[in-house]
Amino acid sequence: MTYHFRQALLAMRGNLTATLGTLTTMTLTLLMLGGVLLLTLNVNRTLEGLESQVEVAAFLEGDADGAALLEQVRAFPGVREARLVSREDVLAEMTRDYPSTAEAVSLVGNPFPDTLRLRVGRVEDSRPVAAALARLPGVEDVEYGAGYVDQAVRTLTTVRAAGYGLVALLFAGTLLSILNAVRVAMYARRREISVMRLLGATRGFIRTPHVIEGVLLGLLSSALALAVLVPGYLALAERVAAFAPVFPVVRDLGALWLPLGAVAGLGILTGLAGSLLATRRYLRELE
Amino acid sequence: MIVFRNVSLAYPASGALALDDLSVRIHKGEFVYLVGHSGAGKSSFMNLVLKRALPTRGEIQVAGEPLARYRGRRTALLRRRIGTVFQDNLLLEHLSAYDNVAFALRVTGVPGREWPARVGTALRTVGLEARAHARPVQLSQGEQQRVAIARAIVSDPPLLLADEPTGNLDPDHAREVLRVLQHVNLRGTTVVFATHARDLVDTFRHRTLTLRQGRLVRDDPAGGYAL
Ligand SMILES: Nc1ncnc2c1ncn2[C@@H]1O[C@H](COP(=O)(O)OP(=O)(O)OP(=O)(O)O)[C@@H](O)[C@H]1O
Ligand SMILES: [Mg+2]
Repeated sequence: MTYHFRQALLAMRGNLTATLGTLTTMTLTLLMLGGVLLLTLNVNRTLEGLESQVEVAAFLEGDADGAALLEQVRAFPGVREARLVSREDVLAEMTRDYPSTAEAVSLVGNPFPDTLRLRVGRVEDSRPVAAALARLPGVEDVEYGAGYVDQAVRTLTTVRAAGYGLVALLFAGTLLSILNAVRVAMYARRREISVMRLLGATRGFIRTPHVIEGVLLGLLSSALALAVLVPGYLALAERVAAFAPVFPVVRDLGALWLPLGAVAGLGILTGLAGSLLATRRYLRELE
Repeated sequence: MIVFRNVSLAYPASGALALDDLSVRIHKGEFVYLVGHSGAGKSSFMNLVLKRALPTRGEIQVAGEPLARYRGRRTALLRRRIGTVFQDNLLLEHLSAYDNVAFALRVTGVPGREWPARVGTALRTVGLEARAHARPVQLSQGEQQRVAIARAIVSDPPLLLADEPTGNLDPDHAREVLRVLQHVNLRGTTVVFATHARDLVDTFRHRTLTLRQGRLVRDDPAGGYAL
């Protein structure tokens, strides 16, 4: 094993350009991946926060049967909870929150209708649920606090998808770079390899140093990417938390562990897959 | 040790037959010359035995097993049982004579503690134990070829294929290499020696196979040939 390891290091040093090239592309790819994963994590956290707040309200006509409507609404797909608030309760609530309401009421009487208040499971559901409510007989008007949420969700998911697309492209580039590096390394050893084959070395034996080379490249890139990503992200998160506390930036290590682990794991996996592929192809060409 | 039954070989690149309906049997422990002009098919014969080329027609057996049995991973096992020496000695320049010979043991997974004794024996057989630490460039071509022979025999293969191992050597060195191969043969290894050097074949008589344009035109146990 030490022999294979030494051969791997020799191969990497012997083809420094290819090694450094691969290391650079791979580190950048992993950085990008890490960035997108962390962004996703935060987007998801933000959406969860929004979801728990999104409420849909249906204002009922004066003669509507609130209890019957409540039963109907509870059966809607996407509705997590629903309750009926009587016009008196609404008034009490409003008077508590805005004391000036009391004066107005003394002039015109209680202007508030009976109201159905719903929470939806996912933000995306608020629009269809609102539309369905509006079609019910006895519902005068519908309001959902989160027209803007809808728009935000769409933007964020688009950004996220674009990020993943970019990362996929970068991974393809990284893979090609590894294939090239391993090929160059094997080509430089072609005489030795042909002697090995003649002496009866197995394919596995011939491949091992180059597979180690690939895994080492993956490990190194992962380490480099994490070395930039972790402090960079934590510093950024601290700033955001300080200056824009409305965004619930993820800073607990329990949640960060997964995306960071994915960066390290994918780095090593890409190195392994690339070198396995390259060595197999090279040895087949020799047959 | 080697059996060819109606073997023909046409390389995919060229249409002509490199070997044409060749049938021959080489027994365990024999020393056999394979002679013929350039292009007669000597190297093609070696390539077939080593499974570096596949016969277009016919059947080949090595050490009692049809070559078709050595598939995939097992090709490596076949080659472990055959020592090879070529005109180009194929030594690795960055390694000493000792390390070049030990390389054969390393790549076949022989544990390191067995190397010193086995490499020592192999180098002694070719008369080079004193030059164990010399690199190929520090050795004469004859000595380099002897290192290659030591590497070929260090794993005690039952069969040794030598394809013009003396091609680059002056007559004295050529004879020296031939003597070493005969010595290896006396220890029980079957040796097939391809050459077009008549003087060698004339000096040390052995069974001689003559190839001409891929056909076996003479097989003389007394060492006669038809060049
Ligand atoms: N890899 C190859 N592809 C196509 N044709 C080949 C190949 N190797 C050899 N040949 C052809 O096969 C025939 C036999 O070649 P071979 O190398 O066996 O001859 P040889 O007896 O070893 O000659 P030499 O004494 O020059 O080494 C020749 O006509 C040669 O051109
Ligand atoms: Mg030849």
